[in-house]
Amino acid sequence: MEEVKCYMPSTLIEALEIKSKVDCIPLAGGSDLMVAHKRTLGLTPKFDKPVMIIRNLPELRKIYINEKGECVIGSGCTSTEIAENTLCPWHLRQAASRMGAIGLRNSATIGGNIANASPKGDTPGPLYLLDARVKLSSVNGEREELVSDFIVKFRTLDLKSDELITEVIVPYSEDDFDYIFWHKVGTRKANAISKITLSQAIKFAEDGTVADYRVSATATGAKTNRSRDVENIIIGKKISAELIEDVIKAFDGVISPRAMPEFRREATRRMIRRFLSVAATHPENKVIDTYDDYHVTGQPEPRRK
Amino acid sequence: MVAEDISKAVRRVDAVAKSNGTAKYVPDYDFGDCLWARMIRSSIPRGKILNINLPELPEGYTFVSYKDIPEGGKNYLHMIATDWKCFAEDEVRYVGETIGLLVGPDKTKLEDLLEQVKVDYEEMEAATTIDEGVACKGGAFVNDNNIHCHLKLEVGKPDEAFAKAAKIVEETIETGFQEHIYLETNGACCVPEKNGEYTVYASAQCPFYIRKSIAPLLNISPEKITVKQTTTGGAFGGKEHFPDVLCGPLLVAAHKTGKTVKMIFDREEDVEFSVKRHPSKVVFKTGLDENGNIVAMDSKVYYNVGGYLASSFVVLQRGCFHVTGCYEFPNFRTEGFGVATNTFPSCAFRGFGAPQTLFAIETHMCHLAEMQGLDPLEYKRRYFIKQGGITSTNGKIVERVMIPEMLDQVLKASDYERKIKEYGTGKGKGIGISFYNHGGAFTGNGEQAIIKGKCKLRKYKDGTVEILCGQTEMGQGFHTILPKIAAHVLEIPIEKVIFDDPNTSRVPDSGPTAASRSTMIVGELVERAATLMKPRYDKEEEFEVMTEYEHPEGYPWDQSTFQGYAYLGYGWGVCAVEVEVDPCTAEITTKGVWSSHDCGHLIDEKIVHGQVNGGILQGLGWGSTEVLENVKGHFKQTSISSYIVPTSMDFPKQGVYFVENPYEWGPFGAKGMGELVFNGSAAAYIDAVSRAIGKRICSIPCPTETVMNYMLNGKDIKEAL
Amino acid sequence: MDAKISFKLNGKNVSITTDPLRRLLDILRDDFKLTGVKEGCSEGECGACSVLLNGKIVTSCIIPIGAVDGQEVMTIEGVSATEGGKIIVEAFADGGAVQCGFCIPGMVIAAYYLLSNNPNPTDDEIRLGISGNICRCTGYDLIVESIKLAAERGEKIWKK
Repeated sequence: MEEVKCYMPSTLIEALEIKSKVDCIPLAGGSDLMVAHKRTLGLTPKFDKPVMIIRNLPELRKIYINEKGECVIGSGCTSTEIAENTLCPWHLRQAASRMGAIGLRNSATIGGNIANASPKGDTPGPLYLLDARVKLSSVNGEREELVSDFIVKFRTLDLKSDELITEVIVPYSEDDFDYIFWHKVGTRKANAISKITLSQAIKFAEDGTVADYRVSATATGAKTNRSRDVENIIIGKKISAELIEDVIKAFDGVISPRAMPEFRREATRRMIRRFLSVAATHPENKVIDTYDDYHVTGQPEPRRK
Repeated sequence: MVAEDISKAVRRVDAVAKSNGTAKYVPDYDFGDCLWARMIRSSIPRGKILNINLPELPEGYTFVSYKDIPEGGKNYLHMIATDWKCFAEDEVRYVGETIGLLVGPDKTKLEDLLEQVKVDYEEMEAATTIDEGVACKGGAFVNDNNIHCHLKLEVGKPDEAFAKAAKIVEETIETGFQEHIYLETNGACCVPEKNGEYTVYASAQCPFYIRKSIAPLLNISPEKITVKQTTTGGAFGGKEHFPDVLCGPLLVAAHKTGKTVKMIFDREEDVEFSVKRHPSKVVFKTGLDENGNIVAMDSKVYYNVGGYLASSFVVLQRGCFHVTGCYEFPNFRTEGFGVATNTFPSCAFRGFGAPQTLFAIETHMCHLAEMQGLDPLEYKRRYFIKQGGITSTNGKIVERVMIPEMLDQVLKASDYERKIKEYGTGKGKGIGISFYNHGGAFTGNGEQAIIKGKCKLRKYKDGTVEILCGQTEMGQGFHTILPKIAAHVLEIPIEKVIFDDPNTSRVPDSGPTAASRSTMIVGELVERAATLMKPRYDKEEEFEVMTEYEHPEGYPWDQSTFQGYAYLGYGWGVCAVEVEVDPCTAEITTKGVWSSHDCGHLIDEKIVHGQVNGGILQGLGWGSTEVLENVKGHFKQTSISSYIVPTSMDFPKQGVYFVENPYEWGPFGAKGMGELVFNGSAAAYIDAVSRAIGKRICSIPCPTETVMNYMLNGKDIKEAL
Repeated sequence: MDAKISFKLNGKNVSITTDPLRRLLDILRDDFKLTGVKEGCSEGECGACSVLLNGKIVTSCIIPIGAVDGQEVMTIEGVSATEGGKIIVEAFADGGAVQCGFCIPGMVIAAYYLLSNNPNPTDDEIRLGISGNICRCTGYDLIVESIKLAAERGEKIWKK
């Protein structure tokens, strides 16, 4: 077998130049790619294209708030870095903190998690919910695109061959909502792959109507599910039991789980019903979970700005 | 000098080397200029091999198959039965069956070649479940009915009792495959020596089993093969017979090439292509009188044996012997069937057939109580077996049964009685309880009639004493237990006792490290040898003593009819589990786990504590998340990310209790316990979950999605059977 | 396509010329003979191959050696020789944390990483800290107890 070429740029510019000339696979944390291409014990993973290692590019490892107040996360930031950084929105931090094993979280990056385009990926749920964008850079310039558009379908991205994901920009955070919800049903309590994860957020107007409501679901179809049409059912109205059921029914039509459909659908219905009906009572705690005294209830850790 | 109680914990002799990374497991050995082997396996569950298409093999690369077995050699592995072939010849019976080895010096090149191997088959219809096996789907391939093995036991007069019963109810309880997930995958290395001899290094439980199993391949005596156990990273039964499946082909490869050949499984192949716990199906028919008392019970026990019988008849026997659990029923019958299917052969796994039937009887007893509106605990209490009680094999319980004392400990620690009333059923919280036992050592007089275990102690000039026996350390603590026993008798420091990983050329065969027999039987051999050595210890510089197992008189056993005293010493257990169910997602959170065990007198309280913790957790995994599906002969879960064993976050700290009940024939009163501690936690967990959701659960594993399914569609826990 | 990779390994500067896509795990085990690093799952799930990369716990089976150029790696061989590492090894031995031992080098690394960042962890924090390390023998309870013991015994070291 012929060995594939491996590039090890030390700056982003160098990386973009390589990318402009060579069709290569960017490899950051390795948690998906090294496993997908593994062979048996002791052997070098087998790639069918050249690889470019971008794990240590300093330009991709920053987290900051930009002039518009949006959270900007370098695509090379690891799950641990995101989970531990209170600049990052709550939903995303929750997802990052429950992704895989600890050792893996110190490797896995947000850019890689998006690029893997798996419906079970942990970060797309919150990113869809918060209208996050990716910044795509090449030697010819930059462009931004919603994560939900960028991930076209399972394992497919809207990415040109000379582009790299360099940043993830999250315009919303929990500060924009009155109540928030994030719940992952994993294969086990830690070190788990998602069976279903639901992210939700709601904001009320002064008259008690819903000013904004969002819901996204992971592992319920070919890609992460979110639908503004479904959310609009309840936006501008007061929460009622009937409206909640309308939202549930409409969202049920959006998701398309293949494996364990009954479980995934029912858990989704119940989590939406729970969140909206509890939020309607305007409880003191901002974080609502699947039942009281469970997991993450209470107030989120204050954001550091 | 009166020594302190042996139970007081000492530091395990292997702990530091294993913690700082200096302990050497088989993948850590550098065998120098050796060849590597990769297996070519069947990719279909049943069919005929038409052609094996190999790529052109460069110099130094070899294909090894049954054709390389020399004249006079036999193409089988001796694993109690001799039906499991070392290499498939013209037919294959399961996905993963060994067809051949590809052997060569460079691992990468070898893998490239392996990817080019193509086997043509004439595929046949496969049976993969118990029901399909019994129905002879695709035509029987074992006997004329796909039944590998069968037995029947009867106590009292069940037919007469059924005829008089006021009511007869039926129920089926099922359990699934379970994968061992020892952290170290299987690996072995075979080194050809001079004079046609071989040395085998293996991660294994039973070095003497390997020797005996593979020697017939080359038609040589077992003594020509030296098996050296390497530090073994977990086994749980999965390395009792299964290492033969690696070592046999490696022996033939070493014979063919004249070179050292090494093979280490990666995790994926170890999960996909290794033995598993037998899936089971137990069909109960129970006769009740007008007050709901059990007057007769009939059970049909089906185990999914897979393509070859190997050790499974013994597993099925133990399953049938344990189907009465901790209870005595006046009229009872059980019939066991080892069903042939086209799945990877099932084999030993901690509990060796007992956990399946114990889960079945515990669950059935709960359901009998619930449907009558009775408290399961109160119902079970009516039937607890006592000393002198009649067992499923018409023997008697020899020892004192301390279930009442153990139950008291668990009730108190778990606050069971308050919680069971407060939680009710179907209200999101539940507490469950189970009772279980495990017969120690080989069945009946097997230790004397079959195993004939021997053990030697050798004293050296410098005062050190070496233990020579075939018992292995695989994590259970035996490297500490045995020296502790010898040191305690001889009243010398444990550091003066040497006990190395066995080498079959140096040590006598003391029998396998299996069946919860090592402490109970071999520990007693060491205790006795040390007692013989003690009066001579100061007087003689260098000498040896040897002991051999003798079965106590007066406890007959007939292996042809399975009648008599199956076990002289049982371990006993009580376990309570408390859970909470998430009303939105059906996720189960376990709030508490409490257990009490009777393992006789403890040789080391910390080692036993660790066994309890690990066994109970493994049982909880079996009952909850450890889903292993077989789809058309292929296991669907093939990695640690898809086959879900518990992490440190899945279950809480356990409450661990013991009762003191010294066993007359064990060293310092100790009994077997390594398997016992696995046997009951799944039943307690399922009892708790079913109470929390108010639905009857009849099978395991029971992961989140299954709990949800029961919540939506399950039968009410109180519904009539 | 080989490349020269230089990094710090257990405190020493080393370099190796090799395929940058080879796994760090294989480099450590096969080239540097650091066989205390174990391979349990090959997919970053079980934690047996844990090492510290720039002081953070990572699973070495998913890291290409090319990503380690210019970085700092500590294996169990290095960690167990440190003052803190020795305390953990001793606490594991005294606390009954070890059974088959195959997960234990990785578990020691996890304990070291935890205590270095949180000298006084609660039981729950310890459970979280070792949740990336699968153990099939012990049921974890005595590992948790042993890490508590190491926290107590090494109080002065961890607080540094």
